[in-house]
Amino acid sequence: MTITETLSSGITIVELCGTIDASTAPELQRHQAISDPTQTIVIDLARLDFLDSSGLGAIIGAARRKEESGANMLLSCMNQKVRRVFDITGTVRLFHIFDETAAAIDYATTLRKSQ
Amino acid sequence: MKTLIAIKEADCAWMRETLPDTHPLLAPLCNKPFVEYLIDFAILAGCREIRLLSDGPLSQIEEYCSNGSRWGIELTYSNLHPSDEEQELLRKNRKFCDTGRTIILSGYNFIDYDKTLDYRSLASIDSAGAIASCPGGSITLAGPPEPSLTDQPLPPVGLTPVDDLKSYCRIAMTTLETGSSRYVLPGYGGEPGCAIGRNVTISKTAQIHKPASIGNNVRILPGAVIGPSAIIGSNVIIDKGSTIKESIILDNTYIGEQLEIEGRIASKNTLIDPESGVTLAMQDPHLLAGINGGATALVLWRKIVHALAAALLLLLLSIPFAILYPLLRLRGKWQDGHSIPNAGLAESIASALSLDRYPLLPGVLTGRLAIIGSRTHENRAANHAGTDCRPAVFSYAETEAWAATESDAAIVERYHALHSTPLGDIGMTIQALINRIHYRNPT
Repeated sequence: MTITETLSSGITIVELCGTIDASTAPELQRHQAISDPTQTIVIDLARLDFLDSSGLGAIIGAARRKEESGANMLLSCMNQKVRRVFDITGTVRLFHIFDETAAAIDYATTLRKSQ
Repeated sequence: MKTLIAIKEADCAWMRETLPDTHPLLAPLCNKPFVEYLIDFAILAGCREIRLLSDGPLSQIEEYCSNGSRWGIELTYSNLHPSDEEQELLRKNRKFCDTGRTIILSGYNFIDYDKTLDYRSLASIDSAGAIASCPGGSITLAGPPEPSLTDQPLPPVGLTPVDDLKSYCRIAMTTLETGSSRYVLPGYGGEPGCAIGRNVTISKTAQIHKPASIGNNVRILPGAVIGPSAIIGSNVIIDKGSTIKESIILDNTYIGEQLEIEGRIASKNTLIDPESGVTLAMQDPHLLAGINGGATALVLWRKIVHALAAALLLLLLSIPFAILYPLLRLRGKWQDGHSIPNAGLAESIASALSLDRYPLLPGVLTGRLAIIGSRTHENRAANHAGTDCRPAVFSYAETEAWAATESDAAIVERYHALHSTPLGDIGMTIQALINRIHYRNPT
């Protein structure tokens, strides 16, 4: 798994590439932008090939902590394989999902201004 | 022009309770999945790209609709948040909506369209906003207008919320009465008001009164009366003498003999009154029951299991048959296709071992017969033609002590033909063998 972090309009974009499973999920949990509960981020999933339950658990856990402290985790560019995992686990209701990262950044900016 | 179809779980939670195994978008409305009406309207409006959005699971819809190629469109899927309004939907699907005109169909609503009218003028209407709305949702135009594809003015578009069983039933009946003159409906119809699907068997003495819609793989047995205003789903059996009037029989349902169903929805073993919402789960499977889908794999598995059981019986009974058959033949006690009389010791042994059925066992190996099913050796097969008839060496009726008369036996056979499992058949074959000893040699 590769984690690439960029900044756009003051919003952190975390791009996940490759595979997230039991062996790589801890690395995802330790990532600063993801683990920081006060930071609103956009996770770009376009290049994520595989996501298992441990990876999904890491994403949901981080999103819950952010939500509790008033921040957000937005998901963008989810491919069909990854979307299927969210779909069958019924976790789609927990996230705001965008089909392009720029729209997610705009949304995150709006949320930040309204807070 | 593109279409976003947005359905929230909260809008159709009541349908989830009624049909827990079916996604609300796949709930049949006059034998056509609900989602297809929405897709039809989008196509009539000139859309070739449609995205389905939901805050619930979409896998069942994806499996049914796939990529939309069967409608000549591109169908994609995404998710929405339960709190999303139309503006959020557009924002979250910005790449899909692009810069052109988008129709948003939101809510679990029925669109009153007419397939003969041209709705492509939706693309060129100057002002964006709702063109039709109801308490459960709306049809909304978003994005800038596109060049006009038609000179026709926009025909009226109605929107009816499908928010309970009563409205569902009313819309289904209205659609049935309107028929294929307005909607694209499944089935073949030799005359208006009657549509019949594939692989439908209708007895000569059954009556069909218009309007009626009958799905695929349906059997309507002698004396049954269908309609007026009856919607029969797929994989349904209407047994002898039953009447279905102003009712909806959903898929995979067995309606027993001499039942009168009027103004009801029947789904497997549940009978629902759409007016009051009262449901009644029938405990007697001979009256109302669910039907397991006849998967090809199950048919093959059943044949293999039956063939193995037949091979075992052939092996075990080969020596008694080799000894007793010539003996009984010589004494004139053996008649092909008839039971062996309990006249002496040899006859009693042959009868207890069911040797009269031994010559039929090779038929199971060739797949011509089943090890257990409907009886063939007493010329009853002619009365049992159809998908629930399984000509066999032993009869399901022989496993039941109470099935003494012909009609009792027919009920038992029909029930087990629809509900039995391949491994369950082996247990029932053993039961039939034991019963034959018991009833032939009562002591």
